[in-house]
Amino acid sequence: MTTRLGPIELEVITGTIRSAEVEIEAAVERAARSPMIRDQHDYRVGLYDAKGRKLTGRSYGSLIEPIFEFFGDDINPGDVFFWNDPYNSAGSCGHVPDLCTTVPIFYGGRLLGFAQVFGHHDDVGGCVPGSLPVQVRDQWGEGLVVPPAKLYDKGVLNETAFRIIERNSRLPEHLRGDIDSEIGACQLGSRRLTELAERYGVEALEDAFDAIIENCAATIRAELLPKIADGVYTFEDYIESDGFTRKLYAMRLTMTKTAEKITLDFTGTDPEAEGPINWAIDYCEGRFVRKWMGPVLRCLADSPERAAEIDINEGVLDVIDVVFPEKGTLVTPHFGRPTGLRFFILIRSLGIFAGALAKATGGIMPADHETIRIWGLHSRARDGKLSLFREVLGGGGPGRPWADGSDVVHIVPNSRNLPAEFSEQRYPVLVESLALRADSAGAGKRRGGFGYDKRVRALRDCLLLSNADRSELAPYGVNGGLAGHPYGVSVESGEDGVVRSLPGMVDDVQVRAGDLVRLWTSGGGGWGDPLERETELVRYDVRCGLVTREAAESEYGVVFADGLTVDEEATDRLRAERRGARDGLPMFDRGEHFRKVQSAGGLVWPEGWSDPDDWQAVPV
Amino acid sequence: MAGSLRVSVDTGGTFTDVIGIDGVSGAVHVVKTPSDREDPSRALLTGVEKVLALAGADFDSVEMVVHGTTTATNAVLEHEFDGIGLLVTEGFRHLLEIARQSVPDGYGNSFFWVKPPRIVPLHLVREVPGRLTFDGAVHRELDEAAVLAAAKELVDAGVNRLGVCLLHSYANPEHERRVGELLGEAFPDLFVSLSSTVLPEYREYERAMTTLLDVMVKPYCRTYLDRAHQELRARSGDLPFLIMQSNGGVVSAQAAGEKPVTMLLSGPAGGVLGAIESARGAGISDIITLDVGGTSTDVALIEDLTIRLTNETVIENYPVKVPMIDIATVGTGGGSLAWVGPNGALKVGPKSAGAVPGPICYRRGGTRPTVTDAAAVLGRFPASLVGGDLVLDIESARAVFAEFGAHWDLSAEDAAAGVLEVAVAGQVAGIRQVSTLKGRDPGAYTLVAFGGAGPLLAAEVADFLGMTSVLVPPNPGNLSAFGLQVTDVKRDYVRTFVRQVSPEVTAEVTALWNELERLGQDELADEGVNAARVELVRSADMRYVGEGYEVTVSVPVGTPDAESLAAVAVAFHDEHERVYGFSYAGKQDVEIVNLRVQAVGRLHRPELTGVTESAAAEPASRRPVYWRGAGWRDCVIYRRADLGAGSRIDGPCVVEEYGATVVVPADWAATIDSFGNLIMKRRLA
Repeated sequence: MTTRLGPIELEVITGTIRSAEVEIEAAVERAARSPMIRDQHDYRVGLYDAKGRKLTGRSYGSLIEPIFEFFGDDINPGDVFFWNDPYNSAGSCGHVPDLCTTVPIFYGGRLLGFAQVFGHHDDVGGCVPGSLPVQVRDQWGEGLVVPPAKLYDKGVLNETAFRIIERNSRLPEHLRGDIDSEIGACQLGSRRLTELAERYGVEALEDAFDAIIENCAATIRAELLPKIADGVYTFEDYIESDGFTRKLYAMRLTMTKTAEKITLDFTGTDPEAEGPINWAIDYCEGRFVRKWMGPVLRCLADSPERAAEIDINEGVLDVIDVVFPEKGTLVTPHFGRPTGLRFFILIRSLGIFAGALAKATGGIMPADHETIRIWGLHSRARDGKLSLFREVLGGGGPGRPWADGSDVVHIVPNSRNLPAEFSEQRYPVLVESLALRADSAGAGKRRGGFGYDKRVRALRDCLLLSNADRSELAPYGVNGGLAGHPYGVSVESGEDGVVRSLPGMVDDVQVRAGDLVRLWTSGGGGWGDPLERETELVRYDVRCGLVTREAAESEYGVVFADGLTVDEEATDRLRAERRGARDGLPMFDRGEHFRKVQSAGGLVWPEGWSDPDDWQAVPV
Repeated sequence: MAGSLRVSVDTGGTFTDVIGIDGVSGAVHVVKTPSDREDPSRALLTGVEKVLALAGADFDSVEMVVHGTTTATNAVLEHEFDGIGLLVTEGFRHLLEIARQSVPDGYGNSFFWVKPPRIVPLHLVREVPGRLTFDGAVHRELDEAAVLAAAKELVDAGVNRLGVCLLHSYANPEHERRVGELLGEAFPDLFVSLSSTVLPEYREYERAMTTLLDVMVKPYCRTYLDRAHQELRARSGDLPFLIMQSNGGVVSAQAAGEKPVTMLLSGPAGGVLGAIESARGAGISDIITLDVGGTSTDVALIEDLTIRLTNETVIENYPVKVPMIDIATVGTGGGSLAWVGPNGALKVGPKSAGAVPGPICYRRGGTRPTVTDAAAVLGRFPASLVGGDLVLDIESARAVFAEFGAHWDLSAEDAAAGVLEVAVAGQVAGIRQVSTLKGRDPGAYTLVAFGGAGPLLAAEVADFLGMTSVLVPPNPGNLSAFGLQVTDVKRDYVRTFVRQVSPEVTAEVTALWNELERLGQDELADEGVNAARVELVRSADMRYVGEGYEVTVSVPVGTPDAESLAAVAVAFHDEHERVYGFSYAGKQDVEIVNLRVQAVGRLHRPELTGVTESAAAEPASRRPVYWRGAGWRDCVIYRRADLGAGSRIDGPCVVEEYGATVVVPADWAATIDSFGNLIMKRRLA
């Protein structure tokens, strides 16, 4: 049956594709084995058309281009494509633990599109369990690398390839379960597209794909771009260490906004690093990073509810252009540079985009938040079996004009922490406390969310790993809001109580049975002048023990008479005094450590680049 | 001896439906009365009295009263959270604030998503020293003085309902039991729920939330159920008063009040039970239920006429991990509004016109187009509904659809047909959640359609999914209340027991199953169920070692103890293969996570009288009906009451009855079976 595409067909097709994306996600999550995938939800799902254009928008997805590049027209029913190579996948896989599985979708011999899942697997080899070594100088030390390959060719499994992949993992059963669940999920999603072709005809379906993509661009142009003043804006942010050298590694952005477009230029970004903080994205017009950064624009929607409705699909490419610096920077690394911890710069890219937008919108953007860091304990049982207890711990969300930041959030949708009752059953640990860390949130009229304060006692000798940035620098505050507080990890000896503080990036630190590991994660940056925060809200945070009375006074200017009674008069006085004493209110605050590094000369701008923080807040 | 009239009362937000079925004569009496939000027991009593009047009977002739209600659910939806407190293990005071660190939906939402209010605010959460390990061993003794001090602070702060969730209490309930005793002595007026009683299952956040929802609805359910029960007793002596639960079974009102969280999601249960009973009569065993109400549609998949349960339900963002019929709900129903969305999209739902103002054609002040109006515009309805009480204003609906369609240059009819197509697609998505997503092909099932608007769209929903058979029971608008008549007493028992499957654990597993079975036997005996009518069903939640989700599989009744564990292991591999498309029998290790027992006390079913035979179906009238793609066609209209057993009708046609309208499209034909079920089949192309 052939139907002309009308509003009814378009609505049903759009809705079906959206629910297909949810179905694929559900299928992955249920059968996947790696906690990284099934609990922490570190996987992405996408449906694409035959041209490789992304139709779905809940998650940012990967790319289809590597299939075209490596296989041309050799795409057949029953094929399953597979890769994890950051340098041979057009920027679609950022680091080697992300294995990408893609299934082509056919309708009566015609290629309709692709279903794709990529997920962060527990272990693909390399020199440290979990495959995210901190001290590694090239990609070959990070784990097995698979360039785009066919795992199934016309329905026939390449058993040898599968065995090689499994053999290279310390947790082969997890890997096998993950890949099988991803393939099954892709096939489930594929059927949705063929059913639509059956009902409405291929032509109407393909017309709908065009409309879905055009509607995304139209929505951005109609609802989001008008809120950004045309002009050129710069912003930058930093990674603290590459695992070898502690210094500021800057990612720099020049954003040019016109009525129709936004151009993101990363020129000025620091040279590539020796350690694994590089991010290879300068491939096929930067399509991956444009789709990755685009969703930040949703913060400008009329309400958070509306923001959640806006899908960012391939259509965003029509609105966002990107310019890369020459080869050899953090975002244009040479082949083979290590990339395992590229999630620092991945998050930083969102933060610098949001910061540039804050300047261009009169400060109505959310503040910064750092939501991904991984820590873990690993050991081997007497039978030689690896125990890998590893968590992605969220951090405090950003303060924003409409609300305080949410506590301990993870940027990955539906990511879940591990219940203490699960962890203790599965791993040799005792979770002594799972709490929010007092005073970790950046102060503001709308404060940031709180970070974790988690204490875990090791019950057998093991090795600790920590993959964390923002352990010195903190998520920045916006529009007069203050920076949040940074991440930290320490080990208290079970024998003598001596506390060792560790850097954010470490591999294989020895922890003895009985030692207590303490972790706290970053609080979100605050939004707006903390002196404007309603005293009742400050009082409630103090009452709940989330903000200390000292911080209430030093950061918010709220004075307590005794107990939980606010001395309103003294508060008014103190706040007036503070307002009078300050010289304007800066748009950004990067916290104490940043000021120290800067005054010690630790920040050098490239030629022609001026201080991007030189910008005033807009009074609220 | 007790009477023979079984009365079921289904309390909804707007109406309370009451059915009385006489077990001797098979006569069915149906009444409807407005619900009473202040005191639902008043509407319940009124309804029972009305049905007795209709049956010409008195309270002495009532055998039992079975009651289903959405009042507990509504209390949660309306956030009646004041005065709830929580006691947790030291170190876990922020349990609710942290939840699972989860931001819903899309990537990047952490920028703008706002954490919803917690069911207990942080200042009403207290820690108590004392710690168990995962195997139930005491790591640190409970500090009883601290428990009392914490509770006193909370009571002084206005707490009247208290949840208690201590770490690993599923493995050893002793500490919680002791807390319960202490609180009972010191604060006799405080409502308390212990997590080890409500849900002895691991995962502390979910257990805490389920416990809090239990204690939240406790005072309300207890007072209201007690009052209703007293009123009934005052009139009839010792009349059994049974309450529908989320698992599709009933328990005594007293037991329901003890653990009210089990009735939290019982709203859709009656309909599913009624659909199962209709399918049984029609000789069909695998069905998908389609219950289309005013604002939403509930669907469930049933195999071998047996309910499947899930433990993963959420109300809003709050997890409720008690066994509930596996139902998917989508936000389109008869009252769903059609509107112009962003980029000129044609949207249907989730907003609904509700009962007031309702659809345009109902003349209650509605001005915006609904699914019901679309059906009216297309000629699917007669001039009036509910036996002539509701005279439709089809012209006004058509005028609004003409205007609505103009957004896309569509005629009123094409716009209305489009609204139905979009509504159908929404219901299709719901059915996929319970079928394809669980490895089931909907084409192998019969769609059982009911609720006011179910039969209207059923054939089109079926077409979309490649289903070829649809069953519409008699009185489809009342199936929910009927379903309450055909239930059993059911109680579920669970115990977390994480072990790798091997012959060595057989003894332990058997002992635990036996313990749960004894509990079931005792509690059903307390309910007054004859031991001969008790059936015990063992099941287990299992997974491959390392998976995060469990698959629940049952042991066939009658399997010997020694073989039960092996039987669930085999069933697990099969179900895994079916749901996920792969399995690792013989290759990977399997572990048990939870052991379960369901104790079922069989209640006898009322005998229904069938319908009389009539070979030829006599049309009542003809009128033009609009079909998407085909336009207006002159169609035959039947009255359901005129269709006797054995009669056959061909589509396109419409069958009208008191509370619903059945649409039979051109490619479909329908027959009536001896129980009055209308069975539509798609004709071969």
